[in-house]
Amino acid sequence: MKKLALAVSLALAAGMAHAQTIKIAGFGAKSGVVRSFGINSEAALLAAADVINKAGGVKLADGSKAKMVVEFYDDRCNAEEGISVIRRIAGTDAVVAVGPTCSNVAEPLFGILQKKAGDAGDSGLQMPVFTDVAIKVGLAKISEWAFRNVPNEMTMYNSLFYWLRTQHPGLKTVYGGVEEDFAHSRATWYIVMKTRAEASGYEVLGTSKWLLADSNFATQVREMKKANADIIALSAHPFTTCGVLKEMQRQGVKPKLLVGLTSSSSLETLQGCPKQAEGIIIPTSFAPINKEANFAAKSTAKFKGAADLHSMAAWENMFILKNVMEAEGISGKPGDVQADRRKIRDGLARLKTTQGLMGVTKRDAEREADKPYLFVHAKKGEWKVLYNPL
Amino acid sequence: MLDFFQAVSDGVLFGATYALIGIGFTLVFGVMHKINMAYAAASVGGAYAGLLVLQVMAGAPPWVVFSCAFLAGGLLGWMVYVTCFHFIPLSSPLAPLMSTVGMLLLIDEVIVHLTAGMPQAYPALFDDVMLSMGEFTLRGDLMLVFGVSVLAMIALLLLLYRTRLGLATRAVAQQPVAAQLCGIRLARVNVLTFVVTGLLGGLAGALVGASVGTLSPLLTVPLTIKGLIVTVIGGLGSIPGAIVAGLLVGGFENVLQLYRGVTERDLYVMLLLFAFLIFRPAGLFAPRGGH
Amino acid sequence: MDFYFGLAQLIGVHTLLGLSAYIVLLTGQVSLAQAGFFAVGAYVAGMLTVLAGWHIVPALGVSAMSGAAVACAVGFPALRVKGLMLVIATLAFGEGVRLFFFNFDYQIAKGEIQVGPLGGEGFRQIRFFPENGWETWEVMYFIWAIVIAAMALLWWFDRSRYGTVLRAVGEDELAAQSVGINLTAVKVSAMTVGGAIAGVGGGLYAHYTTHIEHLSFNILLATFAIAYPIVGGLRSVFGTLLAVIFVQGFLVEGLRFLGDWRNLLFGALIVLAMNLRPEGILGGRRRA
Repeated sequence: MKKLALAVSLALAAGMAHAQTIKIAGFGAKSGVVRSFGINSEAALLAAADVINKAGGVKLADGSKAKMVVEFYDDRCNAEEGISVIRRIAGTDAVVAVGPTCSNVAEPLFGILQKKAGDAGDSGLQMPVFTDVAIKVGLAKISEWAFRNVPNEMTMYNSLFYWLRTQHPGLKTVYGGVEEDFAHSRATWYIVMKTRAEASGYEVLGTSKWLLADSNFATQVREMKKANADIIALSAHPFTTCGVLKEMQRQGVKPKLLVGLTSSSSLETLQGCPKQAEGIIIPTSFAPINKEANFAAKSTAKFKGAADLHSMAAWENMFILKNVMEAEGISGKPGDVQADRRKIRDGLARLKTTQGLMGVTKRDAEREADKPYLFVHAKKGEWKVLYNPL
Repeated sequence: MLDFFQAVSDGVLFGATYALIGIGFTLVFGVMHKINMAYAAASVGGAYAGLLVLQVMAGAPPWVVFSCAFLAGGLLGWMVYVTCFHFIPLSSPLAPLMSTVGMLLLIDEVIVHLTAGMPQAYPALFDDVMLSMGEFTLRGDLMLVFGVSVLAMIALLLLLYRTRLGLATRAVAQQPVAAQLCGIRLARVNVLTFVVTGLLGGLAGALVGASVGTLSPLLTVPLTIKGLIVTVIGGLGSIPGAIVAGLLVGGFENVLQLYRGVTERDLYVMLLLFAFLIFRPAGLFAPRGGH
Repeated sequence: MDFYFGLAQLIGVHTLLGLSAYIVLLTGQVSLAQAGFFAVGAYVAGMLTVLAGWHIVPALGVSAMSGAAVACAVGFPALRVKGLMLVIATLAFGEGVRLFFFNFDYQIAKGEIQVGPLGGEGFRQIRFFPENGWETWEVMYFIWAIVIAAMALLWWFDRSRYGTVLRAVGEDELAAQSVGINLTAVKVSAMTVGGAIAGVGGGLYAHYTTHIEHLSFNILLATFAIAYPIVGGLRSVFGTLLAVIFVQGFLVEGLRFLGDWRNLLFGALIVLAMNLRPEGILGGRRRA
């Protein structure tokens, strides 16, 4: 009888050990013009979890292994819904949330998190959020529970303009185009592209402005034509980038070089205006140029997602989280969810470097990432590597 | 000075797209007296449906795509009628407003689901034709859009004033009960007029897509607003009014963009609308006949 | 639990938005301007608590008054337009308010950082609630106290002569005028009350999302504002509340388990609801 009881309890223990799971919540936009971002992030998260689980899973503090389970929530790129979603996630046993897609969701969402971890007087939410996509400059410093793995546009454009200066010494002038009503594009032009171009010795002749949903760019392109700059830099998303490029073709505006916005280095631009986008140079934090990158792209494709700088950040996040969980020794038990969340937060805050698909990513004190980058350009309907500084 | 004229002509030419969509709006709102907030969405939806031709026959000429959009627009017009107007009694005027809003959201979502929200390149006619007189240039494809608007206007005016369907439509819009007493079948007239405006809408959507060069779900709401503004400024129910108003709004907004910048531009368009509402509420061309 | 408190907060604020459109709808005016008054209230309350350090209660009082003032200013010209024209005019006004805030900068330095609305960037870090240690359930009670007060006020209006007068104007202006009802007073006062309620709702919105920008107050929000009373029915204020629960509780959050289908069903179910109950969930006319 004793032997039977022992056997049964051992079997149960073994069974329970196998049933251990660690829940990661993903969230992002699966609605509207940004739907593809949500689809790709979800696919990347599921693909990464699949790879990690096939290799055994995450090692918990008590030595047992747990499988990563991903649940993805759609916030529809809406601030109120994003806040609802993060509260919903906080009410489950998910130990960390990966998202959001939209910067206009990230900002309010980070705003409701506890500002300083452990501040008893601050009733903000205590949930670690590790962002994969929302890229507007300087958001993670809003809360000590917010971390981001997004490219540092300041570094990338600084390097790009410097490199362009060395490659094309005869080119001296830059003209900008910007989506004025979209926080990300606007911030990237004024704070990043313009200043970095000037720092590399270019003369910025002026800026043409339009709105995110505009479709008539005649006046703006005329301004560009008049300025006749060597380089035109467009801080805009695929829809208006394509609109402007088509108008440029119509009016015969042919700058020596074209520079684009990080987010536009995706499939959308090539689907909307492949011919007109030929040659546009964009700095990015992902290209399928090495074994790990190709593996990530293939795995994500199995879950029906495309690999680009955004979704591959989600992939990287999963592996970073696995390492943090193992380093901090999380328990994975249902009663320790809040303690585990705090451990993950502290672990992420401690990281000085993480392993990315392109190389080693540095992390700074404001919980942002400095990712290795390279320059791609559009050639015959595809993104090809132009220059790899690594 | 040249800048000013160029801005005016750029704007007026682009206003041809507003004119084309405005014609359908003014017909629906002004002649049929129905609030159809889903009109622009159905037009854009028709344009998207036109792209399906390219899936089947890669490299098909643009006019095939436009014809498909034309027909798809008619189908969508019929669907909007059935789901938003047919079953709702006339005594509940607010319900169709809300149900067409629901349809607008639904059509938008369907488009987003089928295309993952990504912009789709649209085949264009004459999109690289630029007529130039020295420094001054005019877009050829927009002149085509203007030409189509005029043709559509002629066709619709003929339909409304020279055919029995047109007579029935105007009768139903003015006095539905009396019209029925005269033997006019209400449901049939409504279906046919929604289909006709839908056909026009599909064509308008396709031409807007061709002028812009890419189709995106971002187009629906701005087109709806422009359509409503153009309808009011032109005069509810006046088709020539819609065309003139479309060109006027296009020119006005572009000139203001030149002088006051893009962030204030739309504010001035609103002020233009308010000016009309205060000083000339019947619009540019008060429609003849009707209420 | 926190999630349900948060959802209750959201339902509360949206109910205020819906109620502001409800009272205006009673007089037969379809107003898409409520989101504009909501925006005014949001920025005013945010600026008072963040820039001037006020407590939330007086800040909300001022946002109610500013919403009312702007609405009153809109109410007079609105008298001149009817039907569809009013819909378009109020839509244009709402967009005008949004565009105003798109261009509005007012920043002051607090410590080393600049705070305040910054045009297209928005107005960030409106953190009165978390900074003062309000728990989610406390904010929920606070919001609902205001919602219940607003509902009680409108409920009382409905049962009083004022409510009958409002509905009379809504039903038939000519008849109402002929029995001596002052149309101007009725329509403008309804608009003003609606503006005050929207102002408070906006102030609360700014504080529970902590970050507002011009795009938060777009046409979609204006449409939701009138959707709630239309879907809920104009018989009583509870219709609006039910509609908010239906849309935000059921369609948005409840249908999450359907994954992608949720978004498609959103529009489809609204169409269906309007076909099945064209007078709204609770119905339209009050009988006596």
